Amino acid sequence: MKAVWITDAVTVTPFGEGLEQLWQALLAAKSAIGPVSRFPVKNYNAGIASCIDDLAALGGRSMGHAMIQRLLPHLDPVPQDTLLIAATTKSGIDNLENVRRGYPAEPRDVMISAMNVEIHRKLNLSAEGISISAACASSSVAIAQGAAMIASGWADAVLVCCMDLVTEFVFSGFSALQALSAEPCRPFDRDRSGLSLGEGAAALMLMRAERAEQEARPHLATICGWGAASDASHITAPDREGSGLKQAINQAMRTAKCEVSDIAGISAHGTGTIYNDQMELKVFNHIFKNHPIPIYSIKGALGHTLGAAGGIEVAVGIKTLSERTTPPTIGFSNPERGAEERVMPEPVNISGDYLLATNSGFGGINTAIILGRGSFQ
Amino acid sequence: MKTAITGSGWVTPTTMGWGRNHDRFEWQKGELPDITRKTVFEEPYPHFGRLDRYSRLGLSAISFALRDAGLNKWTRKRNIGIIASTLTGCLDTDIDYFDTVMIDGGRTASPHLFAFTLPNSFLGEASIRFGLTGASFIIGEPSASSLWCLRMSLLGIAEGQFEKVVCGLCDLGSLPPYTEYHKRPCGALFFVFEKTPRHTQRVYGDLCLEENGVLMFNNNEIKSLPVLAQKCLSAFEAKDELLP
Repeated sequence: MKAVWITDAVTVTPFGEGLEQLWQALLAAKSAIGPVSRFPVKNYNAGIASCIDDLAALGGRSMGHAMIQRLLPHLDPVPQDTLLIAATTKSGIDNLENVRRGYPAEPRDVMISAMNVEIHRKLNLSAEGISISAACASSSVAIAQGAAMIASGWADAVLVCCMDLVTEFVFSGFSALQALSAEPCRPFDRDRSGLSLGEGAAALMLMRAERAEQEARPHLATICGWGAASDASHITAPDREGSGLKQAINQAMRTAKCEVSDIAGISAHGTGTIYNDQMELKVFNHIFKNHPIPIYSIKGALGHTLGAAGGIEVAVGIKTLSERTTPPTIGFSNPERGAEERVMPEPVNISGDYLLATNSGFGGINTAIILGRGSFQ
Repeated sequence: MKTAITGSGWVTPTTMGWGRNHDRFEWQKGELPDITRKTVFEEPYPHFGRLDRYSRLGLSAISFALRDAGLNKWTRKRNIGIIASTLTGCLDTDIDYFDTVMIDGGRTASPHLFAFTLPNSFLGEASIRFGLTGASFIIGEPSASSLWCLRMSLLGIAEGQFEKVVCGLCDLGSLPPYTEYHKRPCGALFFVFEKTPRHTQRVYGDLCLEENGVLMFNNNEIKSLPVLAQKCLSAFEAKDELLP
């Protein structure tokens, strides 16, 4: 199996353009969750989300188009033979809203493959690439598939780009499902009452280690293991026992040839919903038992960025390992059972070299990625 | 990378069913037939009628493919993956859902419809119905060939992500102004791939992924999924002729 490096990681979030800005905001315990002004919220269960204030739709294009325009210039040069994997849940769904309301809008932005058509053209890549959609695990599935392709010798370089927006379409849906918290979300807190939505984008360059060395690309992290599995129990709720997440983690640990004691920290999905957080804690405590492994969620700071969550969280995971510090879990103060001494409202120093990152989504899909610390500091 | 094909199932404008009860496969433009529970499932499935059209279409073709492979009955969950390509996904459901949002400023937004505004929802439904716990995801490809779902499935089997996988494509077609993005007839077509076929199961043949990305079925290059379905049925017919 060939080693897979991450050689570049860029983000666009409400904290600004760039991973460093995001990391500093997380360490400073800031939250970008605030009142929504993009569309009327008076009829919904919540009025808050984490939005990029100055993100605007121009020329009839989706706001997602504008987000990608901000993201790509931050990337190091992308080799032309790179395979592109875009990841999103709803792509430029704001333009479906516009079309239905009779406003001028580009219909193609709504397509699942709209993002990869756009990025392929912008970066002048030789192949069109594909988009992956797996609900809130979209980008972590894309990372897992990209890593598998490189590890098996089937690709040399894979660019994973992920993006999702805060739109009325999505906001109204989560409101109708009674899943939104009226207050900023509180992952793993006993008093949590739902999730907060967020928006953002990330791009991660995965490359075969030997090629990255030849091209003198920075070794930010290694993708050591990956796994994906379905609960096969419910469309919109996680399996209470977390059977799919357990299977995904075990698969990732096997690929990485990792022991439980090797894992230094866990970047959890941690949405702040009652059932997701309960399920994750159950699984982590089952697998890691008495090992004192810190768990964190960045969704109290950024909100739930849906299909982009896994990509942004892996980017933050790179910083977690390089700085040997887990970011604080914003909104957390009163530990849910099983979160005691694992989840912290402040940064925690870690000493190991491996981080487990997990995501789960509608349709019962679960993913686990094991990141290894890079040599580039 | 190599896998055995043990099942195929489809719903197209002209025909629906599975490989072992058809001697040829057709996929032409036209309206999709009404899909009722009784045409797909022998057992009661009250939830089926509540699924959106896109999910009913995909779930039906998956059901036929699993039946063809003899994998539709189960007692314990199995590590079988599901990978589906689509051009327009659940766009029709998206439109239906957002129309419920527009009626009264969001007050009447349908939680039921919203749950099906993800293109992978029907994969979740299939995983529940058939106890499939492998990885499941949707692939959006700008081109109409949809070969990536086959490549990803072969990769998953070779890499040990799952022992078996159901893979194929699912598209309802679309209303204006999205029609121009729909470059192939509507319908759904799925296959079952197995790393190690069960000795009780006859196989259609072997699908190989070459290093240059070319897909070969029984030594013939495959450029689209409908062609693969046709080749599977021809291969079966040829084998039948050899039987005593």
